[in-house]
Amino acid sequence: MKRSTPYLLLAPALLFTAFVLAYPLVQNIVNSFREISLIKGAGSWTGFGNYANVFRDALFWLSFRNTVVYAIVGTVLALLIGLGFALLLNDRIGKITGIAGFLYTIPWVVSPVVAGFAWKWLLNDTFGIANHWLVSAGIVKKGFSWLGNPQTALLCVAVARVWQFYPFAMVMFLAGLQTIPKEQYEAAAVDGTSPLRGFYHITLPNLRSVTSVLVLLGVIWSFNDFNMVFVMTRGGPINASMVLPVLVREYSFVHFDVGKGSALSILVFGLLISLSFVYLKVLSRRESL
Amino acid sequence: MNRMRVFIFLFSLAALSCGRKDDAIEIQFWNFGGTPNFIEWVRNRVDMFNKTHPGVRVVISDKSWNMIREILYANYSAGTAPDIMTLHANEAADYGEAGFFYPINTFPDFEQVKKWYQPNLLESTRYKGNYYGLPGSAIAFVLVCNKDLFDAEGITPPKTWSEFREAARRLTKGTDGDGSIDQYGLVLLGGDKGGFAYRLAPFILKAGGRILSDDLKTVTFNSPRAVAALKLFTDMYQVDHSITPGFLAYTMSEIGDLFCSNKVAMSIEGPWFKVMVEEKSPGKEFYTVPVPVPDDMLDQYDTAPTLQDMVMYPINAHTKHPNEAWEFVKFLRNEEADMSWVQKNLGGIATTVHALNSPEAASRKDWLVYKNELAHALPWPPHPSINAIARNVITPYGEKAIVGELTPSVAMEQAAREAQAILEGRK
Amino acid sequence: MRQVVKAPVMIALALVVLVPFLWTVSTSLKPLPEVNKYPPEWISPNMGLKPYGDMFFYLPFSRYALNSMIVASSATVLTLLIGSLAGFAFARFQFTGKRALLLVFLLSQMLPGASVIIPLFQLLSSTHLYDTHIGLILTHTSILLPFVIWLLYGFFTAIPREVEDAALIDGCSRLSALRRAILPLALPGIGATALFAFLGSWNEFFFALLLTNSDSARTIPVGIGLFVGEYSDVWNQMSAAAVLFSIPPLLLFLLTRRTFVKGLAAGALQ
Repeated sequence: MKRSTPYLLLAPALLFTAFVLAYPLVQNIVNSFREISLIKGAGSWTGFGNYANVFRDALFWLSFRNTVVYAIVGTVLALLIGLGFALLLNDRIGKITGIAGFLYTIPWVVSPVVAGFAWKWLLNDTFGIANHWLVSAGIVKKGFSWLGNPQTALLCVAVARVWQFYPFAMVMFLAGLQTIPKEQYEAAAVDGTSPLRGFYHITLPNLRSVTSVLVLLGVIWSFNDFNMVFVMTRGGPINASMVLPVLVREYSFVHFDVGKGSALSILVFGLLISLSFVYLKVLSRRESL
Repeated sequence: MNRMRVFIFLFSLAALSCGRKDDAIEIQFWNFGGTPNFIEWVRNRVDMFNKTHPGVRVVISDKSWNMIREILYANYSAGTAPDIMTLHANEAADYGEAGFFYPINTFPDFEQVKKWYQPNLLESTRYKGNYYGLPGSAIAFVLVCNKDLFDAEGITPPKTWSEFREAARRLTKGTDGDGSIDQYGLVLLGGDKGGFAYRLAPFILKAGGRILSDDLKTVTFNSPRAVAALKLFTDMYQVDHSITPGFLAYTMSEIGDLFCSNKVAMSIEGPWFKVMVEEKSPGKEFYTVPVPVPDDMLDQYDTAPTLQDMVMYPINAHTKHPNEAWEFVKFLRNEEADMSWVQKNLGGIATTVHALNSPEAASRKDWLVYKNELAHALPWPPHPSINAIARNVITPYGEKAIVGELTPSVAMEQAAREAQAILEGRK
Repeated sequence: MRQVVKAPVMIALALVVLVPFLWTVSTSLKPLPEVNKYPPEWISPNMGLKPYGDMFFYLPFSRYALNSMIVASSATVLTLLIGSLAGFAFARFQFTGKRALLLVFLLSQMLPGASVIIPLFQLLSSTHLYDTHIGLILTHTSILLPFVIWLLYGFFTAIPREVEDAALIDGCSRLSALRRAILPLALPGIGATALFAFLGSWNEFFFALLLTNSDSARTIPVGIGLFVGEYSDVWNQMSAAAVLFSIPPLLLFLLTRRTFVKGLAAGALQ
């Protein structure tokens, strides 16, 4: 095969990526150094002025903190639940497993916008079914407002995200579990190892690569998750659940400050790149890319 | 041979349908939001216009109201913005400053058309000498009181702040015997970013406070009177506990649900409330009264201003067919059209003199209240950044004060400082 | 014994997990005055299928469904075609810049949507692709490609070279080796990827909202968004739309479940 073959094969994909990455990226970089009002259009060059404005904005630091919390909680919990369900499903008990497996993946198939609204109604302080049960069980005071309380709002959105994301983790883990050679378990059984130790020493190490992929994807996707927060809280109450993607929208489309919005986008982009680089470097000690 | 015939038939059919594209001038009209009745009414109006104006075709497109900013901006920047759209009058300054809208005062018959409307309502669409849209429906903020709850308690709607606070206190109680409070005197809007400012402003205005100075150069919502308005709410929330604790998450629809389930007794609302309640709970009654005034201003109960807002119909400054667009906007908003607001439950209050003074209008009790309030209501000051200030400064600081993160005076001071920076373009 | 204990637990878990979805279904059957009541009830007195019918009067949902179908299927096919080429290139060749290019694809997922939308919008407008099926299809393809390439890269890598080599030795040309030997093995993986791509495009809301304008191009998520009004929301019709909307992907998933997991197991895990 000619040396140019791989490049030819990659050409169409690269063209599309240029469409959705290169062009917007360049635009955003350029815009971040200008003073651009949505209404007035492009203004003068301001050097790093927009970036400085972002760093000076207390809302930025709040959003940053919130996004990190959201990403960590959303990903870790989803992975734990996904693994749990995968283990449950891996141990087949006939038709029930198939049915249950299908039911467990439904949250993922449902559109994020729909999921956001469904959870919003569920968590309504007066009419939501969640409070109805929790109050009857005596766990919360009547009328506790999950999405109206600055302390709980972000975590509730994170729970909704976990609900949406765990099936993906579950399916990946399930696939991973099914590739573990049975011989490993059989050998361990012969050795007299307890199932728990078997889990630690056989199952988990074999799932390492799946886990690393899931963590990377989970974090990246959480960092850019606009829909969930926007639908459920719009970033409220009093910005308690403001996350970076929603803040980009606030800057550009609400404050009409496109320069600042672009600067924030570049910052988020840079942050994710750095995170990924570090992460992949750590990973590549084991595998070759 | 048969095949040939079929082919020719299909081909001509196709050619015909392609050729049916007439030379009519096309006007794009984007309607953002509105009650279902209104949307139906507007579509009918568009059809009527198209029938009576051959050569012009208005194409109406219903759009999502909650993404209105993204949609408008994206389209303006690409040159695909519509000829006519629905917008709130407080955006007139914003977009007017940017040259988005067509100054309708440049049309030859403008002076005639101007006479159709109640003067102060048309004035809300003015910015720096130009008028930027014809008024659609008007909104004045009033107090709505749950008839069931008020009658059961034997009290009448409050007129002063003391009566207001007392009413809220008395109407906050537990109703199902389990010892916890499940009915509240007042509900506030907090989950619609920026909506809160529209609930606070009427109280500020009624108290004699103002948002900005008349020359629009100085922030004035940190005046003692304005701070007193915020303090009223703060005390009701923290001391009386008569405001719903979950208000930070409530949207308008949820407020409607609470009101209809008799979970709250009062709310600060506008003309849409009646439509909403009819939909959620047909037949439910409530009192519509002006927003209360401070105790020492009882003599000004009928004349103190409340907050006014208005839907208007601007024309795109870059439209290719300004005259046709103007014809349509006039048709949409003439006196005949405006009478529909009185006759049908479309969600707002009419804006033409004719409709406002008609006998039909006089026969509707709540209309009298709105009409009176509208006669001396004040809109948000026409500064391009006023929306930013209401959303990003007044709302968060006001909410922080109510929940106790800051004291009302400190909150207003800080808010004023930030708003001043915005006014001076430093932010 | 295990079965007796596990089965009810698994079903119970399923019910718990599905509460939000079930609540949506319940809401979709209620008349508007009964939607938000206290205390909340799963079954309300006047439940019925009316919202499902009303929904089509309120908005042209059958048109939206057609649009969603066209866009999602086309985007899936296009993404698979282009992604397979790329995935194959990564799996079978060593070349300079391979690592960098893999990273480029990874990176393209990292730009926030709100910052991509304006340049994208301007690009589509200037090429007259705004408010067209094609414009949305191309956009979705671009968004889905990175992840799809990643998946297919894994699947192709998992197929041992020997399979191809054996076919070549047997006298097949490179192309027919591809067709006869690799394709059958890669099918489960490709099927799994197709499902991901379809779901991604079917459920996509943000870009669909801003890159379409007229009913002839709008997709269902955009339609659902229109139920959220300025003053009140038509919860029941919105839920009905949401439920109907979830059916095609659920059906698709139901039908391809086994191959899906098998496919992933075969080698998504690189």
